[in-house]
Amino acid sequence: MKSPVPIAPAAQSSVAEQKRGFAILDSERWLGPLLIGPAVIYIFLLVGVPFFMALYYSVSNTTTGGGTMGFVGLRNFTAVIGTPKFQTALKNTIVFGLISQAVILVLSNALALALQHEFPGRRLIRFLILLPWVAPISIGTIAWLWIFDSTYSVLNWMLRLAGLIHGQGYMWLGLPHLAMGSVIAVHVWRQLPLATVILLAGHSSIPQDIHDAAAVDGAGFWRHFFQITLPLILPISLVALLFGLIFTFTDMVIIYNLTRGGPFDTTQVLASLAFYTGIAGGDLAEGAAIALFLFPLLLAVALGFLIIAHRSEVT
Amino acid sequence: MAKKRLTRRDFIKTAAAGALTVGTGVPLLLPERAHGAAAKKTLKILQWVHFVPAFDKWFNETYIKQWGEKNNTEVTVDNIGIAGLSARAAAEVSAQKGHDLFLFNWPPPFYEEQAVDMKDVYAECEKKYGKPIDLAVKSTFNPKTKKYFGFSPSFTPDPINWRKDLWDDVGVVPDSWDKILDGGRKIKQKHNIPVGLGLAQEIDTSMAMRTIMYSFGAHEQDANGNLTLNSKNTVETVKFVKALFQETMTPEVFTWDASSNNRAMLAGTISLALNAISITRQGEKDNPEFTEKIHLAKAAAGPVRRMGLEHVMDVYVIWKFAENIEGAKKFLVDYVGNFRQAFVNGEFYDFPCFQRTVPDIKQLLANDPKAKPADKYKVLEDVLSWATNIGYPGYANAAIDEIYQKWIIPVMFAKAGQGVLSPEDAVKEAADESKRIWDKWRERKLI
Repeated sequence: MKSPVPIAPAAQSSVAEQKRGFAILDSERWLGPLLIGPAVIYIFLLVGVPFFMALYYSVSNTTTGGGTMGFVGLRNFTAVIGTPKFQTALKNTIVFGLISQAVILVLSNALALALQHEFPGRRLIRFLILLPWVAPISIGTIAWLWIFDSTYSVLNWMLRLAGLIHGQGYMWLGLPHLAMGSVIAVHVWRQLPLATVILLAGHSSIPQDIHDAAAVDGAGFWRHFFQITLPLILPISLVALLFGLIFTFTDMVIIYNLTRGGPFDTTQVLASLAFYTGIAGGDLAEGAAIALFLFPLLLAVALGFLIIAHRSEVT
Repeated sequence: MAKKRLTRRDFIKTAAAGALTVGTGVPLLLPERAHGAAAKKTLKILQWVHFVPAFDKWFNETYIKQWGEKNNTEVTVDNIGIAGLSARAAAEVSAQKGHDLFLFNWPPPFYEEQAVDMKDVYAECEKKYGKPIDLAVKSTFNPKTKKYFGFSPSFTPDPINWRKDLWDDVGVVPDSWDKILDGGRKIKQKHNIPVGLGLAQEIDTSMAMRTIMYSFGAHEQDANGNLTLNSKNTVETVKFVKALFQETMTPEVFTWDASSNNRAMLAGTISLALNAISITRQGEKDNPEFTEKIHLAKAAAGPVRRMGLEHVMDVYVIWKFAENIEGAKKFLVDYVGNFRQAFVNGEFYDFPCFQRTVPDIKQLLANDPKAKPADKYKVLEDVLSWATNIGYPGYANAAIDEIYQKWIIPVMFAKAGQGVLSPEDAVKEAADESKRIWDKWRERKLI
């Protein structure tokens, strides 16, 4: 047997250093921060920095035209809160968020229940349901704009063909309630797939034995749903609701493309008002104040939901 | 101390380092010499997607290439939709980077602090092509700071587009606002075809409502730049528009965007609109027979005066952070000199702000080969006697710009028209909001 080749002291030290380097990677103390670091930097740069800039803008007098950035305290907040435009937007944000999420929760539950069962074409149906989510929202909304168009509305044409209306038809985006209804309908169309997928995962995670036991005990559909299924999917439903609410409160794409806040600001929500005030209107400071208004509320809602979801977890 | 001998290896290293330094260092120090005296400059332009596609074709594919060759400059144009201009301008200013020439389709005094003073461009053009029209000066000059924040080579008239067959049928010529109310009502009753003036948050509504306001003696400001929106005349104007909406229109107008009245007029579903000549130009291509029925008229007379607005005010801004400021200025001076080409290739959509540059404008308007009748556009020959700027009788200042951008005037009329607020309350609400804007810009000493 050959004796091992002696390793030179310099090579030994290099190997030791290399080992020490790998040891750092093996240590949880270093590996964790190292892996999460890029994500933290990413969030800090793309969310944190703009957030702190918005905070700063909201207490300044800056405009998109640049110029001075004087400190004005809470003047932007106090000035904007009293305006009818802001009050309408705040009310609309809440109405828009609550109604659309209520409809989404009911429909996504129904869809998830239906899609759980095996039937011919289930994969195709699942794919079709997911389409609105994967298609670019601006393109989808422009298609809806034509569906609701005052001159060439496909919807009016179909209703006329079915003999349900005569003459010019409905002004879907021209009357405040119809316009808000249209915006909510498009929002539901857009968010339904995500909520359905989340709830489908929740439904699938319930062990079959529980359903079998309920069936043996003679539970009907409603009793089964409300007393067994719903409590078990509550945590995941709350996550879906949380995502939906925050997404609804902070999104403006549908309103921007469909109504631009009209007719006469009646579909304006805080996110769109912030854009029209801060970017289109150029009043960056007031726009930032409007955008930040919902932040404390959304934070409280998010924390509340997460606590409820945590407590209702079934282990 | 012993002198170190230069080895062959050292020599090669030194020579390579020297070559590298010369190769990279000289271009940094003397960029023009390094790239040769013939190195091209660049000029980046951003402007809207023109409502007349033929204009973009000529401008992008012919004019800038010819100008670029003559001036040893690589000219590029980015075209974006009119609705995206505000956000794009805000982004460029925020980044302090962007295009050398930025075309707004309305006066942008809001960006005065970011813009190069165009005084010398106006002076050069005046020397070569005569005085600019008052409309151009009122839309680009700040009397408070004595600065030209933009340069306007052209504007677009905003005539009345009306269906002659329908109006003849009820025996009314729409040349005053009272007659438009009367004839519009009769046409709606007889043919179920409404008048089509927008009441939405978009450019055409903004222009149409200000047209009616100015004709009724109502204004956002006086000649000295004082806020005057809350006045008896504004309330009277709002009452008139409310009657006009209720008796001659449908809620359709609350939904409109900038091209809705074009579509509605060409679909035959409205009897009258205020718009540029894009309606008839589109119609001449798509449906010439029907378009013969659409005629043009100058602004309607109101109780106080006959007054209309420009429909589009082309205002070029050169950012202070632009990379080729001198090239941009030269481009503008030369563009004005060649404006006849723009007028013809744009199918008369854009009118010159330096009138001498299109000396045969009357002959061109009176005999257009595409129009039926051939003198359809003749009515525009005296447009300067009935078209004015946003902010009339004052200048288009930063407060006027913000009121325009926030759609305060269209919302005021729409709320009263729909009956959500009384005319008095609608005016008061708009005036209160305008006052906040006014105070802000006064504080910044820009008005």
